Formats: sequence, structure tokens, C-alpha cells
Amino acid sequence: MAKIPRNFRLLEELEKGEKGLGAEACSYGLEDSEDLLMSNWNGTILGPPHSVHENRIYSLKMHCGDAYPDQPPTIQFISQINLPAVNPRNGVVDPKMLPCLAQWKRENTMETILIELRRYMAAPANKKLQQPPEGSTYE
Amino acid sequence: MALPKRIIKETERLMAEPVPGISAIPHEDNLRYFDVEIHGPASSPYEGGIFKLELFLPEDYPMTAPKIRFLTKIFHPNVDKLGRICLDVLKNNWSPALQIRTILLSIQALLGAPNPDDPLADDVAKHWKADEQAAIEKAREWTRTYAQPQPQPAS
Repeated sequence: MAKIPRNFRLLEELEKGEKGLGAEACSYGLEDSEDLLMSNWNGTILGPPHSVHENRIYSLKMHCGDAYPDQPPTIQFISQINLPAVNPRNGVVDPKMLPCLAQWKRENTMETILIELRRYMAAPANKKLQQPPEGSTYE
Repeated sequence: MALPKRIIKETERLMAEPVPGISAIPHEDNLRYFDVEIHGPASSPYEGGIFKLELFLPEDYPMTAPKIRFLTKIFHPNVDKLGRICLDVLKNNWSPALQIRTILLSIQALLGAPNPDDPLADDVAKHWKADEQAAIEKAREWTRTYAQPQPQPAS
């Protein structure tokens, strides 16, 4: 298979995100629409139903470095959330605790990560965890 | 996986007989991915500028067009803020009879003949139609600011 370079891969993801072709419960886009390097992205996750997260909207930041997609992006919640994989001080997601980051594959996308995070929020062990007030953010 | 013969042939010819004002060099670790430089055409607002682009030949090339975008900031009605290019031969009018070489020539021609009636960058096109002289001056200014040759590192 032809190996798609970082920038063209990110353009594909951007177009998919802009057209809303992805999963409805997650969205993502460039933080700065003029950033030719396309490094910094914003994402949102709509809290999964039948969990404490229902009806909440979580914002997060994703950073795609030079080695993306050979290496996964770094993920950081902006909205406060109580989850074992999320650092309670700054919202950074521990890549070792989320399988799609720990066993990263080149075919994974930012959408893959957002969907998996949403599933993780709804997991039996996590869906009833007490949460910070809605709308609170990390510094 | 082996590179298709067609791509090898095109690459060899691009290196052996380069188009004046255009260079395209494949990455060593990905022979479908090219670093491209296009010199701004004479008597255009881009004259004197050297524009960097990147080009990728997708898996099903030449059945689908190459993917290409500007890496150098450019003020042009058919190029958007992320460097994406609005050009018929990259979209609906692509044909496998076209080549990397013809695409790069079309882009060079587009620099010489901006087309604000078929814009990708709406704000730039509006500017272009409302006050062409001012838009051309801005394109010149951006060329001076962003498209200057990089000093070569001493060898």
C-alpha cells in the first residue's frame, strides 16, 4: 500500500471532520484554520447515554506531532472529567491506559480516539464515577 | 511493495529533463511523496518567488489525480489558507493521460493567470474582483515576505 504522508493524511481527516461524515457523537477540527502545519486540533465528545456523562459536552485538545500518524497524537481534556486514564491535575490522557493509543496503528485517526474515549466513558467501571461540575475546565 | 513502472518512469524523466522553473524530488523513504518547488512566472505578482509544495501519488494513481498543496503561504484566489489548490485537472478533469509534469505546469500557469471567478479562497477572490490592483500588490507583498529562496546551508 502507498504510505500516505502526514500532511495529506491530516487533510483527509480535516475534510472528513468538516463534512461531518464521521460519528455524530464526536467532532473535531483545526484549532487555527490557517495553520499550514495542522498540528493543533480541537475535539468534542458528547457524553454517552445511560452514564453520568449523558448530555454533557466535553472539549479536548489534540496535538499531532511531526511523526503523526506513525506516532499517536497527545490528547488533553479541556473540560474537567473524572476518569482513571485522565490526569486529574491537567486533563492529559495517559496513552498507556487507552488501548487505541497504547497499541497505536497507523490506520487509527483522531476520530478513532474520540470514539474510543466515549466508549471508555460509558464502560461499566467508569459510567458512574462522580464528576466535577458541568462546564468546569482545567487551567 | 514495488513502485509501479509508470511512477518510476515519470520520476526518472522529471530528474533527467526538469521543467524550467519547476523541481520535484521524491523523498528517499517514500517514493510517492515529492518535495516540489515552483518559481513564480515572469510578469506575474509571484515573479521572483520560490513556492514550495508537496505532492503525493495515491495508491490508485494514475487512475486518480496526484494530491498536491502549497507549503508556502500565497495570496491567490484559487489557493486556500491551507495551501489546497482549486484546479479542474486535479478534480473532475483528471485523466490518466496527464502526468506529474503536466500538473505542475498547470499550477505554474495558474500562478500566471489567477481565476477569481472559480475561487477556493472566497475572501481573496472578493478582494481580487473588487480591486485587482490592490490584490496584485498584496500578492507581490506576500511573495516578498514568504516566498524568498532559503539560504543554502554551507557545505
